[in-house]
Amino acid sequence: MKRHLGTFIGGMVVGSLSFGVWPEMWKSYGIMGGFLTATFVIGLAWFMNHYIGVIDNPPDGLWVDQGLPIFGAGVSWGIVRFWPADGGCAYMFSALCKIWPTLVFCLIGGALAGVAAHVVKQVAPGWNGQKEVSK
Amino acid sequence: MIEFLSTYSAAIGMTPASAVTTVFGAFIATFCVIVSWPKLVEKFGPIGGFMAAAFVIGTFWLLNHKLPGWGINPDQIAGPDGHPMQFGLINQAFHGSCPWVDMGSAIFAGFWVNGIVGKAKGERMKAVVESLPRIFWALLGGVVGGVLTGFVGFSGAKLFN
Repeated sequence: MKRHLGTFIGGMVVGSLSFGVWPEMWKSYGIMGGFLTATFVIGLAWFMNHYIGVIDNPPDGLWVDQGLPIFGAGVSWGIVRFWPADGGCAYMFSALCKIWPTLVFCLIGGALAGVAAHVVKQVAPGWNGQKEVSK
Repeated sequence: MIEFLSTYSAAIGMTPASAVTTVFGAFIATFCVIVSWPKLVEKFGPIGGFMAAAFVIGTFWLLNHKLPGWGINPDQIAGPDGHPMQFGLINQAFHGSCPWVDMGSAIFAGFWVNGIVGKAKGERMKAVVESLPRIFWALLGGVVGGVLTGFVGFSGAKLFN
């Protein structure tokens, strides 16, 4: 249960950081703001969530990436942040129903890349041990 | 062909061309992260992770998510059809009126599927079941964090409008 608490808090931190900081940096500094935010926000959150291990990822388990809480935060932030004055449950459900095309295409592309990466890792010299990449 | 690709389809909320670019953008970003990130960390330690965050995520954010504009209210820039312009590969459906769908969903799906196909055939179902509570708590954490961050819209501040 403590591990799930860590996963929960790690997801909250990375979701809040991404969507509290990224749009503001983009609006203020354009493309360079996006690069800076990627460095600071994703770097910081990756260090905490995956290098320290706040998000629970046992050695032999399937990897749960911090992209998942970022996705969840993007949807919920987009709904709450731009809540119209006359909004209610109908607004929330209609907004939720609109995410599926982008989400489905993203999941398809990501799953294809997961399979492709598995195949390519077997033949790429850096991955199959033909090339020394460790210190 | 060009007419078919660039005709808006109400069924999927985007043009067929946007559907193709969304799948493609998700694919290349996820592939690059899965193949490069662990090796950068292996070679450079945490510094490699920061490098990967800057180079990989920064660059693919520009490719997949950058919206045109610079300054206050840049999302007001409208294209010829009156809707906000989108040049990123990952298209936000229904002319951008859907809540933000991030490429993190693709990267998560890629790592997860990569783990599944890397397992022996008999152990896949067990691994999937083991990962479900972690997926639930990570997603719940993200949703709660996003809702709490979005509450700034309820604060009543009228700074620029």
